[in-house]
Amino acid sequence: MPDGSRSGAEYSLRIRVNGTDHAVSLDPRVTLLDFLRERLHLTGTKKGCNFGECGACTLHLDGRRVNACMVLAVQADGREVTTIEGLAEADRLHPVQQAFIDADGFQCGFCTPGQVMSAVACIAEGHAGSDAEIREWMSGNLCRCSAYPQIVDAVRAAAAAMAGKG
Amino acid sequence: MKPMKFGIGQAVKRVEDARLITGHGQYTADYLPTGTLAAVFLRSPHAHARFTVSDTSAAKSMPGVRLIATAADVAHLGDLPCVAALGNSDGSKMPLPPYPVLAKDEVLHVGDAVAMVVAETEAQAREAADAIEIDWEPLAAVIEMTDAIAPGAASVWRQAAGNIAYDAHMGDKAKTDAAFSKAAQVVSLQVVNNRLIANYMEPRAAIGEYDAASGRYTLTVASQGVHGLRDILSKQILKVPPENLRVVTPDVGGGFGTKAFMYREYPLVLDAARQVGAPVRWVSDRSEHFIGDAQGRDNLTTAEMALDKNGRFLAMRVDILGNLGAYLSQFAPYIPWLGATMATGTYDIPVLHARVRGIYTHTLPVDAYRGAGRPEAAYVLERLVDQCARQIGMPREELRAKNFVKSTQMPYKTITDRTYDVGDFEGAMRKSLANAGYFDFDRRIDESKRRGKVRGIGFASYIECTAWGDGEEGSVKLEPDGTFTVLIGTQSNGQGHATAYAQVVSQHLDVPLERIRVIQGDSDRIPTGHGTGGSRSIPIGAAMLARASEKLSVQLKELAADKLEAAAADLEIADGRVRIAGTDRSISFEEIAKLPGATPEKLKAVDEFVPPTATYPNGTHVCELEIDPDTGVTEILRYGVCDDFGFTLNPLLLAGQVHGGVAQGIGQALYERTVYSEDGQLLTASFMDYCMPRAADIPEFHFETCNVPSTTNPLGLKGAGEAGSIAACPTVMNAVVDALHRAYGIDHIDMPATPSRVFAAVQQARH
Repeated sequence: MPDGSRSGAEYSLRIRVNGTDHAVSLDPRVTLLDFLRERLHLTGTKKGCNFGECGACTLHLDGRRVNACMVLAVQADGREVTTIEGLAEADRLHPVQQAFIDADGFQCGFCTPGQVMSAVACIAEGHAGSDAEIREWMSGNLCRCSAYPQIVDAVRAAAAAMAGKG
Repeated sequence: MKPMKFGIGQAVKRVEDARLITGHGQYTADYLPTGTLAAVFLRSPHAHARFTVSDTSAAKSMPGVRLIATAADVAHLGDLPCVAALGNSDGSKMPLPPYPVLAKDEVLHVGDAVAMVVAETEAQAREAADAIEIDWEPLAAVIEMTDAIAPGAASVWRQAAGNIAYDAHMGDKAKTDAAFSKAAQVVSLQVVNNRLIANYMEPRAAIGEYDAASGRYTLTVASQGVHGLRDILSKQILKVPPENLRVVTPDVGGGFGTKAFMYREYPLVLDAARQVGAPVRWVSDRSEHFIGDAQGRDNLTTAEMALDKNGRFLAMRVDILGNLGAYLSQFAPYIPWLGATMATGTYDIPVLHARVRGIYTHTLPVDAYRGAGRPEAAYVLERLVDQCARQIGMPREELRAKNFVKSTQMPYKTITDRTYDVGDFEGAMRKSLANAGYFDFDRRIDESKRRGKVRGIGFASYIECTAWGDGEEGSVKLEPDGTFTVLIGTQSNGQGHATAYAQVVSQHLDVPLERIRVIQGDSDRIPTGHGTGGSRSIPIGAAMLARASEKLSVQLKELAADKLEAAAADLEIADGRVRIAGTDRSISFEEIAKLPGATPEKLKAVDEFVPPTATYPNGTHVCELEIDPDTGVTEILRYGVCDDFGFTLNPLLLAGQVHGGVAQGIGQALYERTVYSEDGQLLTASFMDYCMPRAADIPEFHFETCNVPSTTNPLGLKGAGEAGSIAACPTVMNAVVDALHRAYGIDHIDMPATPSRVFAAVQQARH
């Protein structure tokens, strides 16, 4: 942790979020999650635990899934962030988003942005080959409404749809 | 009723989804008015201590700090009320000790709130909270219920001798004793119902705003209903007229009962907003949820069944110790009592005596959590019935069939004074067992054995009560643009109420769901309401909206009749229009709204539905599982459900509710355990220590209904929000015990059946 934090020293950085560049100056203690939510007002990324234990804040940093609560905003300097708000193309939902709707893969919706971002990465990583594999590689994302069977259905369906296209 | 494309009974996709799936849900913590300040709470590190706040001056002078409040600063605020006092068996009323908004002089559990700090940023507030100097004098704490009622135990409240909050009785002790003395066989069992932590994914949050010019407060809060909070806050805590307080609840990320209560932070952020002249926001973090929100369950129950020589149940005796924690949360005393009222479940048991004691300990308050008393009751009973079957050597399904309340006995009044209107308990059991391949189970044991595993199958027949008490008033209104607006005072916590309600309206007005807007969660826009809880929103709310929609359809036909120069009786509603049946002469809703006679009264229908009594969902769940005796790990192989919910409004939403409830029950049965150290530290205060079910732990389900319509509401509905969590614990645990009994003769293990517990039980049985 930089010593400057308590004296209020701020760091300047550039982050590209959902295709838009942001040049900002901030307290180095600020997490990527808080930066997105409080500074950019991108509140789709959720704070479920703030300790990297629940997956609600999952987003993509340079295309890889990370828990945004475990990343300092300064660590994202010069890098590219994709959040749930940046996943759909205009009015067309990402196939994973559509699959979650079709499979009724969520109830309260609070963990859902993290589930969706995790699922997109899970498929891209090649970890959606079987139900058992999906369950294992999606188990970093808690859902207390416990839509787990439907989430597995959604990831399976999305993986098939995306493979068919690609 | 004719089937409508979007109407009731259809597996319609949710109207909520488009917003939520793109990250545009609006939860409380997503609301950040300009100039909002952050509140944090300084909480007790001790389970029991006397304290003095020696110095706040250093904290007050720190950067960004705007307000520090301790008990002395909030003496003008009333205490948090407990609204569910019970009577003792000696005729006296239970004392109600105070639950102040901030602890004064003495803290009673880890996490007890001592001070509030408001600063420009959350980081500044946290730093200032750390700088508050407090002199602590730790005192002896009592944590376990059995210790709390032992002689010489440390006392939580001097009003409550022996730490007993209440000692209530139900039924007839003399008759029960007599029946037991004549019984051919008596079977007894003691079970722990483990304490749970709700762990909704959205931690609680609240934003207080105050408008000095009008003297009005606004609270935006993640709750289960705005009106109840408004009334308690205004009348009892802030002591302002109810019209001076608006309570708003936007999207809620799960509540499960535990977001229903008045919590300390709500009046405090409002009071702070008034004092500092800016919005004040508090957002709980996960650690704070563990030590700041009410917890669930935590019963220790001894139950006994008296049987005749043929296996008929003669009488039941139940002794419930319910841990209430240190303070009385809003409904706390009622929860174990509610469970006792369901003690006899699906069985015809003519004689009962129940003793229910609420116990104080230096732990977090305990209150309603998904099922609230009913899971505890079903767990005790279904474990006991299995134990009876084992002891008298009768197949489990035969013993149940022999003792079920028969459908021909309906309406059936239980010895606990409940009246089941309808139900076919044996039918549900037979169907569920057949679906599960129950009678072929023996063939599958060897397959497990070959892999070094032991296999078990278990089931539970449950009944629960939902949707009792308060009614619900609401309205359906035709807008000038031909759309409809529903106002209702229930509160979705993620169950998809807006979809279900829109389906009901669509059934009567034949409009697509996107032309129906459902407004919930705003005490300024909706006059009354009773929120979500007790699986009430659909059986009561949908029943009310069915009547209101029907009423509005009649009003709209009357308006159309003049214009179309026809009798209202000759008109029908189809495709968003009112038309003369059998002709092409019609008028759209938009045109009706603009007719000269279309007064606001005629374009709106208000109705109220007050349930005459509870509804009684029931059914049988079956679980088959495999245990690895070398590791103690349990794996669920199949889980089958056959439930009676009276009528299925939306199969998609219903399955989601049932799956979710069952998964929470699986969590309680196999994973979730709340552990306090001897001195009252909560050891399981994060997701690393409190084991939540994850995707890899929850099986695919077989779910089907065996509906028998309820007679208590116009749609025949029975509540479905809690049933899964009620049936799942005894189902899973009966399967665990079945596996361990077949292989090792073990006939009891407590929840959660963690690998270490199962492993230890197997080791002990082997030696």
